[in-house]
Order: sequence, then C-alpha cells, then structure tokens
Amino acid sequence: MHLTGIDFLLWAAGLVEHLVLLGVLLARRRMQAFPVFAALITTNISRTLALCLMVLDHCTKHHYLVAYSWFATLDLALQLGVVYEMASHVFRPMGHWAPDVRSSFLGMTVISFAIAAGLTYLPSRPPSNAWLQSQLIRGNFFSATLMAELFLGMVVLSITVGLPWKTHAARIAQGFGFYSLVCILTEAAHTFLGMDHDARVSSTVSYFRNVSYLLTVGYWTVTLWVQAPAPRELPDEMRAQLFVLHRRLESDLGRLKAWRRQ
Amino acid sequence: MNHQAVSFFVAVGLFLMVLVTASIYAYVYSRRRQRRVYGDWNTIFERFTKIDRHSVARIALDFLSESDEDESLFKRDGLVAADEELDPSEIWPLIGGMEGLEIMRRNCAVLVDMAFYVQQWYPEALAVAEQLRLNAREIGWHVDRLQGAAKTGKLEAAFPDYAQRAITTYYLMTRRVLALFEQGDFPGLFELQRAL
Repeated sequence: MHLTGIDFLLWAAGLVEHLVLLGVLLARRRMQAFPVFAALITTNISRTLALCLMVLDHCTKHHYLVAYSWFATLDLALQLGVVYEMASHVFRPMGHWAPDVRSSFLGMTVISFAIAAGLTYLPSRPPSNAWLQSQLIRGNFFSATLMAELFLGMVVLSITVGLPWKTHAARIAQGFGFYSLVCILTEAAHTFLGMDHDARVSSTVSYFRNVSYLLTVGYWTVTLWVQAPAPRELPDEMRAQLFVLHRRLESDLGRLKAWRRQ
Repeated sequence: MNHQAVSFFVAVGLFLMVLVTASIYAYVYSRRRQRRVYGDWNTIFERFTKIDRHSVARIALDFLSESDEDESLFKRDGLVAADEELDPSEIWPLIGGMEGLEIMRRNCAVLVDMAFYVQQWYPEALAVAEQLRLNAREIGWHVDRLQGAAKTGKLEAAFPDYAQRAITTYYLMTRRVLALFEQGDFPGLFELQRAL
C-alpha cells in the first residue's frame, strides 16, 4: 500500500489526540462515568497503531482491508455501546429507565436501524473490484447514518419528555452527532466514487472526514477537561425532608393509579 | 450520473435536511430551556399563568379520599371538604374549559422547570423533580385525550373523567413544588406562595 506524507501526518495527529483524550479521561476520573466511551478511545489508539504497523511492514492490501474491517466492526459495536451509555445517563435519572421513555427509545432505535439499512441498500454495489471493500463502504455509510439518527433522536426524545442532559454526556453526544453528519456526506460520496486511496477525489473525501474527526476529538478533550458546575451540599435536615416529600409523591401517584384501575 | 445515483443522493439530501432541521430545533430549544432553567428565577416565574386555586382544589378534593393528610392539605389552603359530590357538569366551568386545561398543561412545564431550578444546586432533589416530570407528562396525556375527544365530538363524555384526573394531578404537583421550596427556603418562595 502506498501512503503519502499527509496520511502519516493525520495518523500521527490522531494518535497524539487520542492519547491526550485518554489522559484527560484518566486525570479527570471520567472513566468511571463513561467506561464504554473510554474503551472506544482505547480501541481507536490500538487501531491506529496496528494499521500503521501493518503498512510499515508492507502488508498486502487484502490483509490491510481485513484488519480494517475487524476494527470497523468493533468500532460500530462500541459506538452502539456509547449510545446506550449516553441513554443511561439521560433516561435513567433514578437508576432505572424512566417509565415514559422505554418504549419510545426502543421504537426510535428500531426505526433508526430500518432507515439506515434502507438508505445503505438503496444504491447497487459500490464501485470496487474487491467484495470486501464494497462491503466496507456500505458498512461505513450504515454506521454513520445510524449513529447520526440515534444521537439526534436521543436529543429530541429528551426534549420531548423533559429530561435534561448532564454536561459531559451532552458534549460527547454533540461530538458524535457532528462527526456522524460529516460521515454521511463523505460515505455517500465514497458509495459512488469508491474508496480507492490512489484516486485523488476519493482520498480528498477521506482527508475531509479525518480532519473532522480530529476536530471532534479535540472538542471532546477540551470539554471533558472542563469541570461541570459543582453542586452544593444538601444539609442533613433538608435531605430528610426531601425523602419524606418523595414518599408522599409516590403515595399520591399510587392513589391516582388505583383510582384509574377502578 | 445514472437514475439510481440521482435517487440515492436525493434520498440522502432529504435525510440530511431532516437531521439538520431537527438539530437546529434541538439546539434552539435546549438553549432556550437552559436560559429558563439555569437562568434567572423571574424568567421561569413570569411564564406561570394563574389559575383559580380554589376551583382546582375543589375538583381535586372531590376525587381524593379524605385521609388526614388530605384534610390537612386543604385546611392549609383555607378550604373545607364539600359534603356533596361534585357534579361532573360543574368541572367544565370551574376549570375554564379546554382553555383552562391548556393553561394547566403549560403551567406543568413551568413547575417542572422550577423543580429543576432547585435540582441544579441540590442534586438530591432529583427524585422530586423526576416525579413532577412524570406527573406533568401524565397531565399532558390527559389533555391530549380530551383534545382528541373534542375533535371526534365526544368531549362531553370524556371531560369529567380525564379532566378530573389531570386537575387532581396538577393540584398535587403545585402542593409538592410549594413544599419543596418551603423546605429549602429557596428564592422566589413568596411569589410562588401567592401564585399557587
């Protein structure tokens, strides 16, 4: 595989940025709150290193594509995990799923999968000599479409039901939303231009996507470094009063439900 | 470019348009809500529309069982439990019809914002805020059903049933928000006491 100086520069920048972000997650103790997101960043570091070493070792294009596909599949699985992680932060305010959200979230996920699959299989096979490469193009487009739908869908759902986003979860979701929108454009272009790295237009599209991703990682690094507004400590007396208030609310709701069953 | 490519790019373009429109809506709405919930108390409060609390309490009292807790709730508001049951036809004028219910729904959103206003400083208030949010959603559903019934001409039959549920839930919400602010001695308590 022939790679240019820009390719290596983007690789190096990506590696450094990911390492800095991982450092921020560790230093600011964000890993406990976002373990799947931290796993995704760690996987991206491993991917960058592994693929770079394969290229330097003069591997064949086929072997490179096989390794790339495995990492892309793992990446999609982890991104879905991040979606679930963010949904847990927003839609499980009391440690369990809010009762008015569960079915809407499930419905939104099913519809998102259906739309993403429909759009992916709308065109015939992308232009490529290799079957694996054409599947990769489809997979990337499917992944981008699905992620954009899920992250945006979560934001709209949270607005509809009136649940607020915590600062850091919101920033991670915003980053994913932006990058997924860019990816839809670039992967739509790849679907018709192909993904041949030697073709000038195709590589320019890839560079555009890579730079967008670098910007996203930079955004995450800065926003995850900044601390969320610190809450005040609740006096013991008020804590007890709030507990009583909560019990009363539960009792009120119980009575309303009992009445409804009559 | 062949026909298939054109239809693909048109579909992707439309899809992106929907996504971008939804993003802009979400951004504008969340900025506005952030200003409401995390901003000045007065900005939250001025959105609150007064409803006759005696009428609301009268309808709620008709529904709630007369337990000690409920009696104390009404005594606090200077009310006494009515001896006779409320006639369903009385609910409509008491609450101000569909318009009154719509105001009540809008007020629910304000009450939830008030609870979140407290929660931003005291995360332990989350349980109360979450319960209020669920109540507000419930009232919203009842009002939606009534609006649906109005469209199909079945409002007369549906109103006493759904409206009384919604009004009772609303009444309990107002009492709980008031209690939350009283316990914490939060700013804006005086205005809230007058309005609720």
